[in-house]
Amino acid sequence: MNILKDVMSELFSMFVADARLTAAMLAVVAVAALIIDATNLPSLYGGIFLLVGSIATLFFSVSREAARRRLSRSL
Amino acid sequence: MIEWSTAGPAVGAAFLASIVEVVEAFTIVLVVATLRGWKPAATGTAAALFVLTAIVVVLGPLLDQVPLNVLQLLIGVLLLLFGIGWLRKASLRAGGVIPLHDETAIFARETAELSVEVNRQKTSQDWIAGIAAFKAVLLEGLEVIFIVIAVGSGRGLLWPASLGALAACVLVLLAGIIAHRPLARVPENTLKFSVGVMLSAFGVFWTGEGLGVDWPGHDMALLVIAILFLLAGLIAARMVQQPVEEVTP
Repeated sequence: MNILKDVMSELFSMFVADARLTAAMLAVVAVAALIIDATNLPSLYGGIFLLVGSIATLFFSVSREAARRRLSRSL
Repeated sequence: MIEWSTAGPAVGAAFLASIVEVVEAFTIVLVVATLRGWKPAATGTAAALFVLTAIVVVLGPLLDQVPLNVLQLLIGVLLLLFGIGWLRKASLRAGGVIPLHDETAIFARETAELSVEVNRQKTSQDWIAGIAAFKAVLLEGLEVIFIVIAVGSGRGLLWPASLGALAACVLVLLAGIIAHRPLARVPENTLKFSVGVMLSAFGVFWTGEGLGVDWPGHDMALLVIAILFLLAGLIAARMVQQPVEEVTP
């Protein structure tokens, strides 16, 4: 049971290493899907949003984690 | 006919990601072999490989039943989550925010932990050691299987991706057998950075295709997306780089 628990925990952490990052990425995908399916814009706009949104999320997540660690070190 | 503009990154991603995972599993197997000999290490490894093979044999054919656009969307989103997670961690390591992965330190820590565990269970020491090897190979192997399926299934590249992963396993095992110590000189963070870039690029590309995006240049768009993620990762690392403190005499 312990091994199964570890396997499930490993699988979960593969995709949810950071809950905020995961939530932000899923939101980016959802908005891209909306742009493609619910607007008259060319589908490429949704693709561009997906790419730019993913990169922006990466920047935000990296700088947030760096700031958090800097703060905890200074306390 | 295989399109190498897609197959190249798929095989490369499977190969590099598998090196990272197999090196991590090898360290634990080496801990077990050092403490209790090669028999429990080999038994645990073989048992894990058997379970991993069973998972592939059982789940593999199910992939053919899933419509391609659903598969691309599902795998694309999972790849994006997985790849961005790796790229984030690699950028933080490259920027000096979190420490680099140190295989020698992990070997020492795992050896100490397993020694305590083995000494506590006097009656079944080989069993405990074998289970440790089993878990390490199973957990790292699951990641390898996911990456191979994820980068290979969208374009029918499962075999080339599997061969990339297999080549990585053989390479690490040969290096491990020759070195007979943790493979600390493998540039783990550089590999993780590269794989994070490739998996994120595949993630955006497959997710887009699954949602119905018509990428300009088709498969060549993957290369452009990968270059943008590479630049983003490098800029992110640079952005959070810790200033080097000057030592005054």
